[in-house]
Amino acid sequence: MRDLDGMLSRRAILIGGVAAMAVSDLRLAEAARADNSLIYAHSVPVTHLGPDYGAFLRYPAGYEVGYVLFDRLVGFDESLKIQPQLAERWEVASDGKSTTFSLRRNALFHDGSPVNAAAVKFNIDRMLDPKRNTTNQPIWSPIAGADALDDWTVRIRTKEPYALLLNTLAHGSGAIVSPAAIEKNGDDSMALHPVGAGPYMLESFNPGQEVVLKAFASYWGGKPKLDKIVFRYVPEPSTRIAALKTGSVDLIDAVPPHLVQSIKQEAALEVLTKPGLRPMGLAMLTTRPPFDDVRVRRALNHAIPVATIAEKVFFGYAHASDSPLAFNTSGHKSAGSYAYDAKRASSLLAEAGFTRGSDGTLARNGQPFAVRLLASEGLFPGDLQTAEIAARAFEALGIKVALNKIEAAAYWDYLRVAEASVAWDIAIFGFNPSNGAGSYHLDALFHSNPPGSEKPAAWNIVRYSNPEVDRLIDEAKTTVDSAKYDGLLGKAQEIIWNDAPYVWLQVNDIISAARKEVRDVRVWPIVFTIVRDAHF
Amino acid sequence: MLRFIAVRVFRIVPIVAGVVTIIFLIFQLVPGDPAVLMAGPMATEEQIATLRHAIGLDQPIYLQYWDHLAGLFTGNFGYSLTYKGSPLGEILLRLPATLALAATAIALTICLGIPAGVLAALNRDHAADYAISFSVVALLAMPNFWLGLVMISVFSVDLGWLPSFGFAGWRSVIMPALALAARLIALIARLTRGVMIEELRKDYVRTARAKGLPFHTVVVRHVLRNVLIPTLTVIGLQTGYLLGGSIVIERLFAWPGIGDLLINAVGLRDYNLIQAITVLFTVGFLLVNLVVDILYVAANPRLRHA
Repeated sequence: MRDLDGMLSRRAILIGGVAAMAVSDLRLAEAARADNSLIYAHSVPVTHLGPDYGAFLRYPAGYEVGYVLFDRLVGFDESLKIQPQLAERWEVASDGKSTTFSLRRNALFHDGSPVNAAAVKFNIDRMLDPKRNTTNQPIWSPIAGADALDDWTVRIRTKEPYALLLNTLAHGSGAIVSPAAIEKNGDDSMALHPVGAGPYMLESFNPGQEVVLKAFASYWGGKPKLDKIVFRYVPEPSTRIAALKTGSVDLIDAVPPHLVQSIKQEAALEVLTKPGLRPMGLAMLTTRPPFDDVRVRRALNHAIPVATIAEKVFFGYAHASDSPLAFNTSGHKSAGSYAYDAKRASSLLAEAGFTRGSDGTLARNGQPFAVRLLASEGLFPGDLQTAEIAARAFEALGIKVALNKIEAAAYWDYLRVAEASVAWDIAIFGFNPSNGAGSYHLDALFHSNPPGSEKPAAWNIVRYSNPEVDRLIDEAKTTVDSAKYDGLLGKAQEIIWNDAPYVWLQVNDIISAARKEVRDVRVWPIVFTIVRDAHF
Repeated sequence: MLRFIAVRVFRIVPIVAGVVTIIFLIFQLVPGDPAVLMAGPMATEEQIATLRHAIGLDQPIYLQYWDHLAGLFTGNFGYSLTYKGSPLGEILLRLPATLALAATAIALTICLGIPAGVLAALNRDHAADYAISFSVVALLAMPNFWLGLVMISVFSVDLGWLPSFGFAGWRSVIMPALALAARLIALIARLTRGVMIEELRKDYVRTARAKGLPFHTVVVRHVLRNVLIPTLTVIGLQTGYLLGGSIVIERLFAWPGIGDLLINAVGLRDYNLIQAITVLFTVGFLLVNLVVDILYVAANPRLRHA
């Protein structure tokens, strides 16, 4: 017992000591608030910052810093509508093949040099070089070049009329960097020493751990509201939430849906959500029987309780798709719905020639209906759980399902392969168009692959091919008139939706959370949490 | 003795070479192409090929292996795709944090584990022994990330005593070090208790007591010394496993060490960074074992010719 007493008194001392530290901790917290800086704990490390040579590399963290550090000719708002930024206004030529931008005259780079037409031309030329722009070529290659018409006017030429020119310029890779800084520090210097024209400039950068930005006093839009923004890498979601609760950080991203409730319980915290741009789905190889039969593909669409998945797996932070495009993608149009109806699914399969044997399994011409279902783990939100639910639902219809789970980093290798070596019949997949553009999304996933190509040119992994859809997409890509563009895309979405090359699943919400005193944080559908306008 | 050390040091070389080769082959075999991951979901097949060529991944495997091996011997770990430079620089930046965490965990093990074991042995089958033995079982059963989560919830969120993540002064190290050391503390307490009980039964203890030495003197001067030899050996050997455990703990506490660097490198298939960290961990593990062996032999000359 004496030992126990001794331990008790030692514990008392320990508690006293820790309590004394707690007081100093509170003072620290107050000091942090007094200096008007925002701390954002995010889920992915930032390893380099330039728009070139691997463009921010890690998604989304690098882009989020880039959207504060750099300005662009035009910018996105939170519903991905185009807004003026370094360009005050622009005009599209009558043939649609060039756009002339008038620059604002008071914009400066962080090194004090002016953002003029020569600087913009320098940047466009740089991004057209595939050696420098390694990761975002597809959205830049339709551009032909840029001309400085006078000090404050730039004309950007495109090879054909290019509907998505403004989306490309507003994209993360459209960052305008200082030519003087490149001249001084080297062609690849933006990675560690970025010099842009955004509202905040770099104070310090510890790759993989922390980025500290400070207000740029000469910003053309006036001095920013915060003195400092700190981006701090905190990988574990529960650690980020704990840090938000203690007030040691002000903002966090990537909140898992099942942990949202614990944030909602705290009066000092606020959950920020926005439906994302990535419609999840189960890709079916449409060239391989029985998935070459649209009735089979539609049957599987009726077999899965998508609304229940949204409710139970994602706690309501997901919504059943109504189109091949997500709700916030440009040109999105509601194309219909496949109600959860197992009877309808069974009768569609019967129409397609499948009969149920005495053991309950479906078969056609003596061949059992067996599928290999490929699922990633941790690549998409709730991917493996969703695949498991789908597998059970298919089994309930009498389909034999072999579920294969693949590690996140290796998953891509199984999707984009030559048709003969596709090792799945159904695979979970979702595409996130980081320029927010519907024509780009449909082009990547549903435009026919070039004849004779073994691997898909982009992401048409289902080998979907419909000449009418190809025509609509091709026309939309070169249509600068937005009402006409929406009309073309709307028609394409309806056809693809009814052809059902995918089992359409849900669109997940992007979920961030902040302390209530933080204002004007914007969550963009492109997985980005943007602190450009944030303040206390 | 010097010859013994020289032989043991020499043996490290083939082991490291073997590990390097195995890791190289494993990452050739596992699916996951760094060019695909870097190029991002929007890239076309042609752009991926360009990137693959730019980073040298289209060379034959034996050439890549040879370049890699030759590089290691000249201290060149290649080029880290994620950090755009030598992986060594990034590792050296992170190493102090990982070492500080491991050192604190070992210090905690020595300061908590050994006294707990001694206390339990001296109070065998009494309340203190039961309490300690129960705690040992509890600590062994708890996964360290769970213990870490509970500590964050109690000491950071509810009580506000300790910072929940990152490195901001010495108070930041307490929770991660405890979470990391918990299992080792329990192991050492159990081991110390067992060895101590064994030693207390031995003849020399009875002789010393018969000679008239007070019990506490016998314990401190004679028994404890004999107890410390196996205990410190085990702590030494377990240090390597601490490095492995620190990967999980560093991630949980956003600790700026090597563990998280390794996880991200694997996620992006940054081969050179993975290799460099693995080589470092291997060499570290072997060196710790070597030091333990040398100390052991120094303490026990009979083993020198074994």
